[in-house]
Amino acid sequence: MRNWRIIPRTIAVVAVVCVFALGLWGLPARGQMTAANLYISGDTNIQDMFNKDLLPLFERDTSVKTNMVFLSHGQGADAILAKIIAAKRAGQQTDVDFYETQPTYIAESASEGIWAQITKDNVPNSAKVDLQRPEVLVSQGFGLPYRGSSVVLAYNSKYITDPPKTYDEIIAWIKKNPGKFTYCDPQTCGSGQAFLYVALYKYANSADFTGLGYDANKEAAWRPALELLRSLKPAIYNNGFYPNGNVAVLQLLGRENIYMAPVWSDLGMSYLDQGLLPKSIKLVQVSPPFTGGDSAIAIPAHAMHQGAGMMFLNWLLTSKAQSIVVNKLAGYPGIQWKYMPQDMRDKFAGIATNFNPLPNAKYQADAKRLWQEQVAGSGQ
Amino acid sequence: MALVLPPFCLLVFVIVVPAAQAVLSTLRVEQDGHVVYSLARYAQILHTVSLYRSVAFTLLVTLASAAATFVLAYTLALYLRFSQGRVSTLLGALFILPLFIPTVIASFAMVTFLQNHGFVATLLHYVGVEEMPPLVFNAVGIVLTEVWASIPFATLVLLAGLQGIDDALIDSARDVGAGAVRTFRAVILPLNAVATIITLSLLFVGILGSFTIPYLVGGNAPQMMSVVMTNYFSNYLRPDVSVAMAALSFGIAALAGAAYVVGVSRRERGVV
Repeated sequence: MRNWRIIPRTIAVVAVVCVFALGLWGLPARGQMTAANLYISGDTNIQDMFNKDLLPLFERDTSVKTNMVFLSHGQGADAILAKIIAAKRAGQQTDVDFYETQPTYIAESASEGIWAQITKDNVPNSAKVDLQRPEVLVSQGFGLPYRGSSVVLAYNSKYITDPPKTYDEIIAWIKKNPGKFTYCDPQTCGSGQAFLYVALYKYANSADFTGLGYDANKEAAWRPALELLRSLKPAIYNNGFYPNGNVAVLQLLGRENIYMAPVWSDLGMSYLDQGLLPKSIKLVQVSPPFTGGDSAIAIPAHAMHQGAGMMFLNWLLTSKAQSIVVNKLAGYPGIQWKYMPQDMRDKFAGIATNFNPLPNAKYQADAKRLWQEQVAGSGQ
Repeated sequence: MALVLPPFCLLVFVIVVPAAQAVLSTLRVEQDGHVVYSLARYAQILHTVSLYRSVAFTLLVTLASAAATFVLAYTLALYLRFSQGRVSTLLGALFILPLFIPTVIASFAMVTFLQNHGFVATLLHYVGVEEMPPLVFNAVGIVLTEVWASIPFATLVLLAGLQGIDDALIDSARDVGAGAVRTFRAVILPLNAVATIITLSLLFVGILGSFTIPYLVGGNAPQMMSVVMTNYFSNYLRPDVSVAMAALSFGIAALAGAAYVVGVSRRERGVV
């Protein structure tokens, strides 16, 4: 009885092993047939844009097949990086032909020699990218931006006819119109961080904080900026209420509880498009500009289909593809504005300038802490 | 003895040793290149206005929440103990409900309930009240939510204590002419002392260490210590301050723990 039963079990085990073995054998074989494996991260709007607009158009234009691996909100981005490094160390090729991630990730692993140097010889359209962009600088030249968003100033033109053009004019406006401005807690959102970082850059040299180095003593230069933000507290909405998150600020603007606030360009544009903000809300960039920038593309030096990856990158930096990106995301193009069609430049006239780079991660952490200690938690 | 050994080892190696190491590490300060032991980190906490205010704020919110919960829970427990009938039975089933609702959901519910254009504001608007003090993203919001979340537990413990009091004792107090208040003060309160101490100390420790509610319902500043610790640990990349804050809150909680131990051992020795 016992022996009799063992036969189907053995068959089952063998079958499972066979299926797995075939799967392991079969996957790379199939991978060679699809041309370029694109690893892309972001929110669902990015996924939709690639799936519905960019990839079908690229395949029609070039008849090169693509296979997108989407990392929702950048989840698993670390593991992909580890995979690329592991392949390099083992002297093998990697199936990652195109990797979109945070510029700091690209910089951290640059010393392993895993990234291909992108030049105008292998990606001609890379010449259109401003090499002083934070994404390029932070990724040590190995990453190229193809989309960007920046924090801009949103104001209600119903109440403000002469909007501030500089950061100092914003400060003056806040003091003159108490209770009608706020920025979110820098802990919880990028638009509040931008307001904080630009205040820091006002008194200190931004180049000191955007590189990879770290020296806590340099932060002494931030003191007047923190003093300034603390002095604004009584003039902030609800006697110093800093909402949690970008959306909370947009809601206050929408309900006309406040008339002015820093917001993300892409979020603000999409809220305007959906009618969640009144049409009287306008977006402008001020001088010095708020901070911005988020993702960059790098191509592994040992990519299996490096040519196809670079071909896609080159296509992505054409003004045709860039127009799709800017329209879909209401953000900044990766290439310089002067290479964009005139109608696009007109539509984004208020924000079509550059933006300030972010401080590195350690300075960001300290800036948020000092803001909490000396601005929000100071008790006037 | 052999039966106690596994949990004892677990306690020592998973709780006591790491905790002691953490406390020691808060005392280790680097000075002119070599390590010395000092209270410098704690002095730094008390000298940083935002941190000092956070400690005071935490104590205030915890005491207020524990006191409010205790009063409400005691009243409810007395009612459930001494009243029979359909309302009492219904209430007895209802009050336990918050125990089964995850704190995250309760916190978000409280925010939508109490915020500027929320349910309470709408209700007041119908009555004609337009100006409403802010009820969320401040101490009031935290206290309200903590009370809501802690009432079931406090009521359960107090009710268990009250049910242990013999009806005959209460009846005899009534027989010699004591009114309701007198009976409560002279008979019920002292006989329920152990349950009271247990409830108060556990409420205090529970609220002191709570994170979800102050994180979601609290404001920018001052923040409760649990939120501050998390921020320093993960957002500000300053785990040293975070650990020192943790040791400080451990010290505060230990006081409540001592009250609990005294209360329980008194009962075991049969003093009460």
